Amino acid sequence: MNFDILLAVSPILAVAIGGLLLMLAEAFGKPMVLTGPQAGLVSTDAGAGRSDELALGSAVILFAGALISVALWKVGPESLPGAAALAPYLIIDRFTLFFCFLLCLGGGLASLLAGGYLPEHNLDRGEFFPLLVFSTVGAMAVAASGDFLSFFVALETMSLGVYCMIGLRRGNLRASEASLKYFLLGSFAAALTLMGGALLYGATGHTDFVGIGQGIATIGKSTSAVNAPLVLVAVALVIAGLAFKISAVPFHMWTPDAYEGAPTPTTTYMSVAVKSAAFAVLLRILVIGFGDPRLASWGTGWPTIVAWLSVLSMIVANVIAGRQESVKRMLAYSSIAHAGYTLIGVVATMHSGQGTPSVLFYLLTYTVSTVGAFGALILCGRRGAEAVSYEDLAGLGKRHPAAALAFSLFLLSLAGVPPTAGFFGKLYVFSAAVDSQLNVLVVIGLLNSVIGAYYYLRVMVYMYMREPEPGAPLATPMRSGFVVAALIVAAVFVLVCGILPNTSLDVAAAAGLSHG
Amino acid sequence: MLQTYLPMFVMFAIVLVISSVMFFGGQLIGPKNPNPEKLSPFECGNDSEGAKNTKLSVKFYLTAILFVVFDIEVVFMYPWATLFKTLGWNGFATMFSFIVALVVGLAYCWKKGALEWES
Repeated sequence: MNFDILLAVSPILAVAIGGLLLMLAEAFGKPMVLTGPQAGLVSTDAGAGRSDELALGSAVILFAGALISVALWKVGPESLPGAAALAPYLIIDRFTLFFCFLLCLGGGLASLLAGGYLPEHNLDRGEFFPLLVFSTVGAMAVAASGDFLSFFVALETMSLGVYCMIGLRRGNLRASEASLKYFLLGSFAAALTLMGGALLYGATGHTDFVGIGQGIATIGKSTSAVNAPLVLVAVALVIAGLAFKISAVPFHMWTPDAYEGAPTPTTTYMSVAVKSAAFAVLLRILVIGFGDPRLASWGTGWPTIVAWLSVLSMIVANVIAGRQESVKRMLAYSSIAHAGYTLIGVVATMHSGQGTPSVLFYLLTYTVSTVGAFGALILCGRRGAEAVSYEDLAGLGKRHPAAALAFSLFLLSLAGVPPTAGFFGKLYVFSAAVDSQLNVLVVIGLLNSVIGAYYYLRVMVYMYMREPEPGAPLATPMRSGFVVAALIVAAVFVLVCGILPNTSLDVAAAAGLSHG
Repeated sequence: MLQTYLPMFVMFAIVLVISSVMFFGGQLIGPKNPNPEKLSPFECGNDSEGAKNTKLSVKFYLTAILFVVFDIEVVFMYPWATLFKTLGWNGFATMFSFIVALVVGLAYCWKKGALEWES
């Protein structure tokens, strides 16, 4: 038995086993005794009404996964040579470990938010938590995959859980719409990616990214049997499929509806974990698979496509986000815009070694800021009075200064104001782009950051400078230790990455992918 | 090779002849006395009413999905069984953990009542 393998996949394995145990705990726990009209009866669903313990369980499992990734990072994946037997299906390197940590952190924070949100909004279904944990297992496997086969299986594992978590509010039309939209378009996008993979296999005879890269490198030699136009079509298909998962314009149409219809913890998870995992595999495919100098160059390769996706995402999302009346929808568009900023870093990987680390660091800052912003939005609402519109938040700064302060911190971080994490995230992405002579992209990115600041600050204007209309429904914050705990963790990360960015930056730099 | 399959072709020919004799023979030699009632398309019962897309109970889907899940498991077991000796304890441990995960799933379905038809 090769123990290197077990040790190397231990972050994924620990979370998977934890998920199985959580599933059993959910089904075999003591059912809740019903109150109200059915008082005295015992609930038929053993998982219902036990969000407290299940949320705690899933948070512990996911944070344990994050800690194991950190431990493995300290040990160093290089010292486990036996783990190479898993390649190319699962590649355990520092890049993977960084994403395991990031995804477990995002998933754990989302489950803490769910522990507060689900009981408050009468959605107390136990299934949510095992689904979240299994979906995170899939997300980690996506980040680790170095082969189209394992990537596709992992992608579906990740997505299946998310489809169910979106439709958790079963009787609700909007939730069903959101779930169906995400399911149909998600399957479509997965089919596009798979088609790209199939074409690449046809062209190069390899499904693993390294083999594909080697096959592409032979193009132009007299002995090469690789069909270059086929490769170009495949590159476009793969990028289109992944652009759907990271919700880049013009593959973003589902995002606002799915984000708005889903329960807010699911929205958090989608915008944080699903997006990060998709960025992980996008980077791996582009750098390892399509890293050939001719394919990774301006004019003949993917940088042009990715740059257009980036520019469109930033401009379209920022313009539409400013016109939203719902804060949740605004945050959905903001997540599209952030995908655009991150894609600048992806384009920068073509020339600069700083490209990958800047994307990783950006994803870290984006994760903690977004979890915080959605968490603060959850905190500001109660059963039957979920805070959705700007008007709901009017005057919150006077009535509930702590909630308003937390919300402001995360919004400032999303806007990229120093000394928060978001500022350094943008700074490093832009500086990596400048290193790669992508000055036009940087200028567009900077202009968009200014537009973005408008709608983030608009929330703060409502919270601190507007009085609620007489007779309008007031948002009263809920009380939940879970949500507060998640906000505190997120706030610590936002401030630490903002004030002392060196440590996390060194980590991101060490996690960078090397060409070939 | 043709020699080997010759009996089969002969059998096909015999089957073809016998079935066509039965099929067309009835038409040729049977009595024919058509009337309008007999020629009208056959129907029985009342005209159908109500929605055409009848809703099926979700139980059918649950059962079908469970069947697929536990059926696929056999697909994994066959290759393992054929290479049982080659794979050794390593293969045994891998397969065992796979089956444990499946059993957990089965226990979950059972406890959640997915296997009960009447509830």
